[in-house]
Amino acid sequence: MELYNVLDFPILSLAIFLPTLGALIIWLFIKNDNMVRWAALLTSVATFIVTLPLLFSFDKTTSHMQFEEFHPWISAVNINYHLGVDGISMPFIVLTGLLIIICIASAWKCIQTRVKDYMISFLILETTLIGVFSALDVMLFYFFWEALLIPMYLMIGVWGGKNRVYATLKFFLYTLAGSVLMLVALLAMYFEAGHTFSMLDLMNYKFSFQWQFWIFIAFFIAFAVKVPMWPVHTWLPDAHTEAPTAGSVILAGILLKMGAYGYLRFSLPMLPDASQYFAPMMIGLSLVAIVYISLVAMMQRDMKRLIAYSSIAHMGFVTLGTFVFTQQALEGAVINMISHGFVAAAMFLCVGVMYDRLHTREISDYGGVVNVMPVFAVIMLFFSMANIALPGSSAFIGEIMVLIGTFAADPAELVISAKWIAIVATISVVLSACYTLWMYKRVIMGDAIKDSVKSMSDITLREFSLFAPLIILTIWVGFYPLPVLDLLHESVAHLVEQATTSKIDTAVAVIEHSTALNAVTH
Amino acid sequence: MMTEVAFPFPFPQHLELILPEIILAVMGMVTLLMSVFVSKSRQNIVAWTAILSAIAAAVTLLSISGSEHQYTFYGYFLLDPLATYAKLLMIVATVFGMLLSLNYVKDLANVGEYYTLMLFALLGMLLMASANNFVVMYLGLELMALSVYVLVGYQRDVLRSTEASLKYFILGALSSCMLLYGLTFLYGTTGSFFFAEMGNIISGTGENERLAVLTGMLFVLAGLAFKVSVAPFHMWTPDAYEGAPTPITAFMSVAPKVAGLIVFMRIVEEVFQSLQSEYTPILIFFAVLSMAVGNLAAIVQRNIKRMLAYSTIGHVGFILLGMIAGTMQGYTSIMIYMTIYLFMTMGVFAIIIMMRRDNIQGELLDDFAGLSKVRPGYALAMGLLMFSMAGIPFLGGFWAKYAVFMAAVEQGHIVLATLGVLFSAIGAFYYIRIVKYMYFDEERVSFNFAKSVPLQVTVVFSTLVVVAIGLYPDPVMQICKLALAGFV
Repeated sequence: MELYNVLDFPILSLAIFLPTLGALIIWLFIKNDNMVRWAALLTSVATFIVTLPLLFSFDKTTSHMQFEEFHPWISAVNINYHLGVDGISMPFIVLTGLLIIICIASAWKCIQTRVKDYMISFLILETTLIGVFSALDVMLFYFFWEALLIPMYLMIGVWGGKNRVYATLKFFLYTLAGSVLMLVALLAMYFEAGHTFSMLDLMNYKFSFQWQFWIFIAFFIAFAVKVPMWPVHTWLPDAHTEAPTAGSVILAGILLKMGAYGYLRFSLPMLPDASQYFAPMMIGLSLVAIVYISLVAMMQRDMKRLIAYSSIAHMGFVTLGTFVFTQQALEGAVINMISHGFVAAAMFLCVGVMYDRLHTREISDYGGVVNVMPVFAVIMLFFSMANIALPGSSAFIGEIMVLIGTFAADPAELVISAKWIAIVATISVVLSACYTLWMYKRVIMGDAIKDSVKSMSDITLREFSLFAPLIILTIWVGFYPLPVLDLLHESVAHLVEQATTSKIDTAVAVIEHSTALNAVTH
Repeated sequence: MMTEVAFPFPFPQHLELILPEIILAVMGMVTLLMSVFVSKSRQNIVAWTAILSAIAAAVTLLSISGSEHQYTFYGYFLLDPLATYAKLLMIVATVFGMLLSLNYVKDLANVGEYYTLMLFALLGMLLMASANNFVVMYLGLELMALSVYVLVGYQRDVLRSTEASLKYFILGALSSCMLLYGLTFLYGTTGSFFFAEMGNIISGTGENERLAVLTGMLFVLAGLAFKVSVAPFHMWTPDAYEGAPTPITAFMSVAPKVAGLIVFMRIVEEVFQSLQSEYTPILIFFAVLSMAVGNLAAIVQRNIKRMLAYSTIGHVGFILLGMIAGTMQGYTSIMIYMTIYLFMTMGVFAIIIMMRRDNIQGELLDDFAGLSKVRPGYALAMGLLMFSMAGIPFLGGFWAKYAVFMAAVEQGHIVLATLGVLFSAIGAFYYIRIVKYMYFDEERVSFNFAKSVPLQVTVVFSTLVVVAIGLYPDPVMQICKLALAGFV
């Protein structure tokens, strides 16, 4: 087999294993807490630098997987260590590299207990995240996908808030129960497709409709829990609320994207017919997430919970864009994922900054913060606006593309007219303005009445430097998204083609379709 | 394969095949005598002699084993790659069991006999692995079982230990009766004790003998199910595990299980081959019930030994999925599972043994609270082993479960595999709860860890093996594949 790797260097492997190497060195040799912090920061910066060539040497003219690596891993069951990225997965690897630096830097002061364990967990987490986005063998993907539960479980459980044990157990079991079904589906696909775990082979194999139907359900459960989609979203507010700031940042910034990435990488290309068949359901669930969860968000008293719900609503846009199968909507979905990585991460950092000062996340404990933290108030205003998807922010590009793409979708595929779907989704723009601005008003505006608020000091240079890259990226993608769109374009076009090309003969399809339906109804 | 038995008996050919067993039998008696003559303060010499004998048996075994089926004692004793591999697993488990015992039992009376009994138990298990007929199988089984009954009750002044031993003995005797009762039906129908020959005759039986054969099969399966603690025949397991000295708990949760599963595999594959459609529903019933009972009942346990007893029942349920598949991949997955399970179990029990406060053994879940602050190294090892038992990747336990689920899916048992993964997700709860105690809670009682070199070596070695297999399982999978070559 021919590997497409312009650099001729295992750059993805290096990005995957550099954090683990750093973690090992920290574990074995470094005792002093401060040294641990610097070593972790150094490792994460080095990893980010390693991921940059992916961005700059990326071949935008092809949808082919790039920077490929292939080694036999478990030859007994034909599992291979096969890595590679295309325009859809590559941005997330770079984003992971960036956000991990921010996470480690944000924990500089607020994590004082077990610093070493914390940094090691974070670096191992980075390994698994980059692994998920670069695996081209489904078992390798599953390996990383499940392995990341371990550091995440520890992170929420050890450094979390009051209710951390409940939150972390819920997170672990919810996501585990969801993803084990994916394992069965992957094994079933392995035997059906002729003993292969290769993602690319599975994309090409023509599964019958009945197969697609059941496998889609298994994948749906696994990915819907991770996204999370209504009604399996309930772990997220708990996990977000109890996680330490950096944990929330990485949860919102990267982890949630894994579910949506799963739809893009597995469901759409491997199961196009089932994806079409289930599209109305997926769109329906996305709309519920967008509208209903936005309403839920409005009533939250806890800032982190509010942003957690707003994340679910924003991810609704991503799943909506995924399942209307148009180029624009899909590109919008990916841009939305990237943009949400900046904005939600920054919103959680904002809460973290305030939490570090007052140790409370209750909205009612604040008020008039602008009087004591003017610089911070501006930054938070900026990201609040981005959260509403104000034109000029990256979120606007993503949402408008999803909406236009949905509006233009082929109505024959859908139960109700695509126009109406787009219109319902647009409501969320209003709703997100309501909850975000209302929170902003209650927390930041007004007079500083409470003594505790009066004692708050404005953000330090270290904290500001956490926000700076996110501000730049949000504005840049907001005003000039073309470079990012260029990266996506070929890969998304290929994906749209895969998702709209039926894998079954129409004549057979009708019969199978009805037998599958009979099987379900009986 | 069967030689005409002349009278007087000619000297058996290829006696070297049974050399490991001979070594164990002789050394068992030697250690028994040694324990009388060696002074009480030097009983560790007996222990080390026993350990070295077991290692010598392993070395001999490796030197005589080959890739083909070899017979001795007029065809009554079989040495094939599967038997060799299973024997190695049992010997490793026994050596670990002895290493864990070194400090644990040194204050008991008659320590020497303890190791003698372990050697005899090992001898019995090796015979089981080599049995290709019911007579040798039963002899081995009883030798193993009787030794283990005594070992469970070895702390004879401890009420819970004697109670456990008695329960185990009575239920074990009952299960042996069931096995023998079933055997009478099969022998009556076929007139043979040899697995392969019985299988041939059974496949040719008509409607008249069918009831007898099926009744016999049912009882034999039930008897075997008792031995490997499959639900609904699992009742003895939690009590025996809790009451036994902890090193014996470790030993008996691996070695006799391997022996029992080997026999199980041989009987299912050779004797009942033609009855696959009849026994499969029974095995499915066993598997689902074991997974359910094991994983659900473990959640409510407060004692870690009891919890691990239920966890064993759950693991055996997963292993039965491989048996149900009944293919090369299925049987291979059983061996893969047992190999990985061996190391996980030994590591976990070594840590439990270390948890001592004066003379009190810390075996409640609460005792693990805050362990990560006091003993970060052991907490890490325990945490990794627990994640491994839960079947989370990059640890060995994931590949164990992966192998059995793969075998089940290959044979189209997708519903069964789905149930299996769901129960494994439920089971993950009580494993990660231990991690929760160690990492998220504050220390409640402090322990002066009973550290010793053998225990530390066991912990470090097992954890490293589990991680190594998790990262690169290919060698284990290939070896198990080789072990099963020519079995199906």
